[in-house]
Amino acid sequence: MRVAYYSPLPPERSGIADYSAHLLPALEQRIDVKVARRRSRRPPRGCDVALYHLGNNPGAHEWIVEAFRRSPGVVVLHDVVLHHLVAGMTIARAKPEGYLDAMQRESGIVGRLLAHGVVDGLLQPLWEDRAADFPLTMWVVEPATGIIVHSHYAERCLRKLGFQRPVWVIPMPAWPVDVTASRTQAADLVIGCFGHMNTAKRLPQLLDAFARLHARRPGARLVLGGSPSPGIDLPGLVSACNLDDAVVRHDYLDEDSLWQQIADADVLVNLRSPTMGETSGMVVRALSLGKPLVVSDVGWFSELPNEVAVKVPVDERETEMLDRALEKLAADEQYRERMGKAAVAWARSEHDLDRTADLYVAVLEESVGLPQVEHAVLRDVAGAAAELGVDPDSSELTDVGARLREVGLGQERSTNS
Amino acid sequence: MCHAQVPFARGGAELLAENLVTELRERNHEAELVTVPFKWYPANTVVTQSLVWRLLDLDEVQGRRVDLVIATKFPSYVVRHPNKVVWLVHQFRQAYDLDRTELGEYGEEVFDRASRRAVHRLDRTTLSEARRLFAISENVATRLDQSLGLKAEVLRPPPQSLDYRCEEYGDFVLSVGRLDRAKRVDLLLEAAAADGDLRVVIAGEGPDRDRLEELAAKHRLDGRVTFTGRLDDDALADHYARCLAVFYAPVDEDLGFVPYEAFLAEKPVVTTRDAGGPLEVVVDQRTGLVCEPTPDAVAQALAWLRSHPDEARAQGQAGRTEAARLTWDATVDRLLGT
Repeated sequence: MRVAYYSPLPPERSGIADYSAHLLPALEQRIDVKVARRRSRRPPRGCDVALYHLGNNPGAHEWIVEAFRRSPGVVVLHDVVLHHLVAGMTIARAKPEGYLDAMQRESGIVGRLLAHGVVDGLLQPLWEDRAADFPLTMWVVEPATGIIVHSHYAERCLRKLGFQRPVWVIPMPAWPVDVTASRTQAADLVIGCFGHMNTAKRLPQLLDAFARLHARRPGARLVLGGSPSPGIDLPGLVSACNLDDAVVRHDYLDEDSLWQQIADADVLVNLRSPTMGETSGMVVRALSLGKPLVVSDVGWFSELPNEVAVKVPVDERETEMLDRALEKLAADEQYRERMGKAAVAWARSEHDLDRTADLYVAVLEESVGLPQVEHAVLRDVAGAAAELGVDPDSSELTDVGARLREVGLGQERSTNS
Repeated sequence: MCHAQVPFARGGAELLAENLVTELRERNHEAELVTVPFKWYPANTVVTQSLVWRLLDLDEVQGRRVDLVIATKFPSYVVRHPNKVVWLVHQFRQAYDLDRTELGEYGEEVFDRASRRAVHRLDRTTLSEARRLFAISENVATRLDQSLGLKAEVLRPPPQSLDYRCEEYGDFVLSVGRLDRAKRVDLLLEAAAADGDLRVVIAGEGPDRDRLEELAAKHRLDGRVTFTGRLDDDALADHYARCLAVFYAPVDEDLGFVPYEAFLAEKPVVTTRDAGGPLEVVVDQRTGLVCEPTPDAVAQALAWLRSHPDEARAQGQAGRTEAARLTWDATVDRLLGT
């Protein structure tokens, strides 16, 4: 099988580029992969199927969406909310009509009117705080022959949005790492929070809960590693909580430093709300290194086993529950060790690279060939029926189609890996 | 009792199905064997043939409800029934562990690859429907878990009913089973070629018989190797009663009834490290010998038993104790959930 592969790749700096760089060698051991050149207009020759990695970053994915529209195939959807991507491909390119279409596709006339308000500057951009209400995902992915996602949450979202073709769940692969802690800070407990520091990371809540912990345990430290979003005054937030001496900030960490910082932490916190249905590469990294996790009880994060992650609700109890979770982890070293062991075991089973690659191959083989197999079965049955004078449109043959769907082989199949 | 039938072929799986029907009837259940012929090649017809099972209506017969359906091997478990129990003999292994081996059926074309995936999808859906899922061995259960992530309880079937007895530890080694390449009877013939004192009786029929007879002739084993063909029950029990030991070393077998039959005749079993299911019951130096899958190793193991008759007897008797634990009463109770 020959597969055309569309994805951002290093040196582009994106989580999806890292993902593909990690996955591609394992895929290439199993199938013939032709990586499409960035911004190439023609698909690689002689491919049986094309695989398109889509995320929310217009700069990284616009050319892939364009290629996908010319020749639809299987989409790997890394974010189930694509509002940012759509806005970037339309409004930012002075093509507001596309945005109006997408909003109308999503929410009818009301959507179109709202879009007009945004385009004309009368309304605050919806992507700033209402992207999840208007995901605009179907406007992009509707032609897909099937979609790969990384969580059952994302699968449910797609079904809710009305996508009826196959959806496959393939977990994100973990990285093979060999990093050991070499902590230089004199701290009783190091809590890490890594990744892009945006509003969805719930930084005020994290700092508030950490301030409470720090008041009881002055030896505790919080490491914030990652570039802050424009508009986030991280130093101001830290100072407001009187945590200047207890918080260590790294606005940029290269990959090696990031791994080392994760290895040096005792606990990782990765809060998220709203979620765009994404999987967190930071969480998968933390699992690989056997770090106890505290996450928000939303989206993909909710699917983590309780043995590896404490889940904090996103409601009025959030700060209090977060404080309790951190206190318990700080107080009980054996609890942290148990969680760490469970995390490593989970990363090895659920996020194993070979398993991921095998699942990709299964999906690709199915997506290309299963319709042919279904057709062949129906042709065989219709042929036998015709010999007996049974009309191909008769109810008896409709029943055969129903049985095929029943066993997961009908055209309207819903699928899971 | 649903069972996929390969016309003119008969082996352990067929015995299991027939025996279960007999045992159910003896316990005053109304039981019937339902079979549909199955031909697994060309591979692209497998799904169509499986669908035949799905089109059957076994919910009721002549207005009477069918309480329970027990399905065994692929594709009989594709059948629909609100109370379906699967006692898995094996999956369609050509779509799993035998794929891309010399025993595989699927090529590299897109259609072939997808046909193989269609079997996986069919299995995942129809095995998941089962109210209870049993496997005849750890080996089968492990394969199922590793391939589809489905968990099955292990329920080993009791061996067929024969007049099992031990009359002597004679001068020949017995091989019982269908003669096909996967049963690896040639390993025994090569062992006989390596050891001029080894006498062998090969009971069974199958597509590999001509090749095996040619191999025996090539090694000039006439007089030391006997091909009996298929034996009736009395003759088979007689051979078990008189042999020194039983050789049984297929490649990664599902379970194999032969070791239990040998044990009931108090005979040790010689098998190999890659035999699969037999390794669950043949314990090295306790109920038989487990050796490397080479002619020399097999020859050495059988020679050791010849020169250690007391140990051969002790191992056979230990096997009998194990085999006697498998009863139809317990088996039927678990299948029916009583």
